[in-house]
Amino acid sequence: MSNAGRNTMTIQEQDIVRLARPEMNRFEAVYIPEIVKGFGITMRHFFTSFGQSKLPILGRSKTTRTMQYPEDRRENRDVLDQGMQKSNFRGVHRLNRDSAGRVKCVACMMCPTICPANCIHIVAAESPWEDREKYPAKFEIDELRCIFCGMCEEACPVDAIELTTEYDVVGLSRQEMVFDKEKLLNVFDVTINKKPM
Amino acid sequence: MPSPFPLSPQLFVGCITVLVMIHVILGIIPFLIYLERKISAYIQDRIGPNRVGFDLGLPLLKTLTRGFGFWGLGQSLADGLKFILKEDYRPFGADKWLFTLAPACAVVPAFVGWAIIPWGGHVSVPEINLFGANLVSAGTALVAVADINIGFVFLLAVAAVGVYGVTLGGWASNNKYSFLGGLRCSAGMISYEIPMGLSILAVLLVTGTVRPSLIVEQQISSPLSGTGGWLFLAQPLACLLFYTCILAEANRAPFDNAEAEQELVGGYHTEYSAMRFALFFLAEYAHMMTSSAFCVVLFFGGYHVPGLWLTYPEETGLLAVLVKVAVLVTKVLLSVCFMMVIRWTIPRIRYDQVLKLCWQSLIPASITLVVATSIMVYQGWTATWQLFVMNVLVGGAMIALFPLLPKADVNKRLPMAGSRFNPLPGEPVITGPVGGIARADDPIGGLAGSAFAPSR
Repeated sequence: MSNAGRNTMTIQEQDIVRLARPEMNRFEAVYIPEIVKGFGITMRHFFTSFGQSKLPILGRSKTTRTMQYPEDRRENRDVLDQGMQKSNFRGVHRLNRDSAGRVKCVACMMCPTICPANCIHIVAAESPWEDREKYPAKFEIDELRCIFCGMCEEACPVDAIELTTEYDVVGLSRQEMVFDKEKLLNVFDVTINKKPM
Repeated sequence: MPSPFPLSPQLFVGCITVLVMIHVILGIIPFLIYLERKISAYIQDRIGPNRVGFDLGLPLLKTLTRGFGFWGLGQSLADGLKFILKEDYRPFGADKWLFTLAPACAVVPAFVGWAIIPWGGHVSVPEINLFGANLVSAGTALVAVADINIGFVFLLAVAAVGVYGVTLGGWASNNKYSFLGGLRCSAGMISYEIPMGLSILAVLLVTGTVRPSLIVEQQISSPLSGTGGWLFLAQPLACLLFYTCILAEANRAPFDNAEAEQELVGGYHTEYSAMRFALFFLAEYAHMMTSSAFCVVLFFGGYHVPGLWLTYPEETGLLAVLVKVAVLVTKVLLSVCFMMVIRWTIPRIRYDQVLKLCWQSLIPASITLVVATSIMVYQGWTATWQLFVMNVLVGGAMIALFPLLPKADVNKRLPMAGSRFNPLPGEPVITGPVGGIARADDPIGGLAGSAFAPSR
């Protein structure tokens, strides 16, 4: 680095740009002409975003960026047009299945260890299958506690837990939002076509 | 005791006007709130309410009202229902009676002011006989609640009472923020009453009457005679001053310091909820409409549209009256919409600047205008173009002289010891962060060598 001797992170005197407040000229000091100019800006925005209703004759406005959510969804749009980046979107979790349809998780406890929100609860048991020692007898994720940081996905050594692109997950009670193993496997069944493993 | 019948035509027409207009206004206000939200949204490149219809979530009503609520028109209805169903909370230590009375104190004056607005000029009332008795005698009457000859003085007096609601509400809430909001409102009201009264005075000097119906008719008289024409042509400066003042009186942006969310939580209605809050809301919009009607009658020709024969005072038929009412209501609504556009155009100004604007700019300007107008009236130069030229000259002189006036010395920045922004003279200023930021060779960040350095 060229400026190795210097603490590059602190703000130095030469980095500071001092701005003087511009003096108003006499024309601006009257306020009225500037206010009239302001009306022009306001009305331009008013008329360009007019016709944002669902009336098709008025068309889409040039300035409004609002998305009409239930009808218009992010996953249906292009990434550059407010769309969702599906490859790294962090939505609700799923538990992946292996080729035999069994749960892939080996209950290594990596994800509850790394989880900053303490929302993953695993009860490990001896595996009924030959190829691994342990499997999760219970696997619960509290989706209300989860902060969707994706660290469980990063920590998992066997790619068993993954975050999907589903985000509109609702429930009527808190208990309903604690997803157990069956539900998480079910999420896998539902989303495997949208997001391959 | 003499029989009250036959009623005078004015009493009969006044009663009908009260019944009709109070419902028209109360019906318009929810849609004004909707309109304000919609205009705000469009100006800010949003969409605004566009979901709520009139079905209120009920399946039966949804079938019946299919297609309505297309643009979220039911939003205000839903909001009103929400206000009715909400808990009517009164904070501990609040003054029980004043807390309840204050919203009513805010609403009632705003509506009472409507009494003198000449909605539709004069109407000829035929003799009405019912069951053989003479109920109403024939004659002409003004389509207003009362045709009193001190009309505008009455309106000024009543509109100023509205501040009691706000101040009492702020005081009764037992909350310092509310109290500050109420105080700000009363201080603002006292200040802005002065330029408002003076700018009206400048107009009344020209018209020579304070009776609203006469002022409207004077504005309609033929422009060929040189004196007619809407009064904003004759007194544009007074119109500007007056409009600024009614914005301040109605607590609208940029003068909405009484409910400044950034500083005072919610201002005077911080502690209010449910219908009591809704009444304050109603009062604000009713006040906007009253002020706008005041402005329209005074400066924009009331019910008059140039060239539309039905809106001339000679027409006293029922159709003419309906057209005139429609014209006046349209003008009022346009003025209210203009207030909404102002809200999103001019940033709200700090409280001391609000009062400074009034005492250092508006009051001197309005006094100058009144003096100049009285000279013009004394000289007999009261044609519209003469007054217009006078206004332009006065305005130009004020703009030219403004920089020569001594500057106010309040609100100057004081130098403070240790301040980064305004240090004492000669004091060194430390611009960088004192602590520093952690680096690979200095993980704590600038603490190496200090007393706080970790022991290795």
